[in-house]
Amino acid sequence: MNNDDVLLDVRGLCAGVEGKQILKGVDLQVRRGEVHAVMGPNGAGKSTLGSVLSGRPSFTVTGGSVTFDGRDLLAMSPEERSWAGLFMSFQYPVEIPGVSITNFMKAAVAARRKAQGLPELTPGEFLKLLKEKMGMLQMKGEFAKREVNVGFSGGEKKRNEIFQMAMLEPTLSILDETDSGLDVDALRIVAEGVNALRTPQTAAIVITHYQRLLDYIVPDVVHVLKDGRIVCTGGRELVDQIEREGYESIHG
Amino acid sequence: MDKRVYVFGRDSVPQYLRLEAGEELMMTLVMLPGTDLRIPLEVDLVGPGASLDLAGVYLCPEAEHVDLRVLVRHTSAGCHSRQLFKGIVGGTADAAFDGLIYVARDAQQTQAYQENHTLLLSETARVESRPQLEIYADDVQCSHGATTGYLNPDELFYLRSRGIPEPEARRLQMIAFLAPVLNRLPEELIEEIHAGLS
Repeated sequence: MNNDDVLLDVRGLCAGVEGKQILKGVDLQVRRGEVHAVMGPNGAGKSTLGSVLSGRPSFTVTGGSVTFDGRDLLAMSPEERSWAGLFMSFQYPVEIPGVSITNFMKAAVAARRKAQGLPELTPGEFLKLLKEKMGMLQMKGEFAKREVNVGFSGGEKKRNEIFQMAMLEPTLSILDETDSGLDVDALRIVAEGVNALRTPQTAAIVITHYQRLLDYIVPDVVHVLKDGRIVCTGGRELVDQIEREGYESIHG
Repeated sequence: MDKRVYVFGRDSVPQYLRLEAGEELMMTLVMLPGTDLRIPLEVDLVGPGASLDLAGVYLCPEAEHVDLRVLVRHTSAGCHSRQLFKGIVGGTADAAFDGLIYVARDAQQTQAYQENHTLLLSETARVESRPQLEIYADDVQCSHGATTGYLNPDELFYLRSRGIPEPEARRLQMIAFLAPVLNRLPEELIEEIHAGLS
């Protein structure tokens, strides 16, 4: 496989929710090995982009196409997208009372391996994987027994998202406002986790309002999303310009 | 403490119980899919310090009719009762829960709680919950609560986004919903119930 292959190809994507048009023709190409940042002011459509790519049912695609690893992403169910290697770290991870992290991840890993035609992990193999990834995110053993996100602080929820990402080893990770609600220590742990998972074969899209997370996860390409369109694409210097002059200074 | 589990259709289930002073009973009732039931149950707490911890699970995924009528009567002072009924109702099934807590005038320092929660799986499933309190003493702590709802779509999407197929994700949500009652059951029965959820 060629590293220059485009992993994600978004063309003219239009989408909305409850009849309201939010994305008005987004174009975005992400290659293997790259980290892209999608920045923009509130209400620009950043989270909608993440929701549409991960297949949230309440959003409707009204135009354009998305090809992921050569396949039509928009034709796939959320679980099929996950099996194909897409991972979304949610801005607001949902609490699931009654379901332990262990059982949640066991179901997720088993379903993915089945979809990929791999044999089921033995309980011992699964536990080893769980411990290894928890260690990577500096999580304590009791974490695995807790109910998914129930009573978690903002930082614990985000760390849990990155832990799940580590467990599922996606090809493309979308991090939606992963920095919100994190103190500096948690931010560093999360960023270290993301950086450790970087490979020449995988890619990430970091969706964020602020430059803060991008000090730790350095993007190769930066896009500015405004009013449902990507109005500007550049390198790291774009982050500094936004920091200095605000989003008002960026025009298409 | 006396711990009992009854499965309707398999076990002979009492319709009346009387708890004397200091007696403690933990009882769990199980209504498996495919059974039409009309269940009257009365429990009298007649001696000081008697305690009842009652829970039940009703599973009506298809076309079942279940009618639960529970009366917990506190006639002595200083007794505790706690009730938790949880059910899943789908298809064209209907379930009714009629729960009355009665506290007599002399039953001071009573603590009595009742909760009834139902998960609906279809538009045609029906549930009617009628929790009632009838209290004649003035120094008591009593409460009741009832909720009815559908599977949370945000939870479902979250599970699916991690690669858990929709039917399995729904099953996990149902297991989680029932967990507070199922935790009281023997392992084989829990597994039988889990296997029957889909």
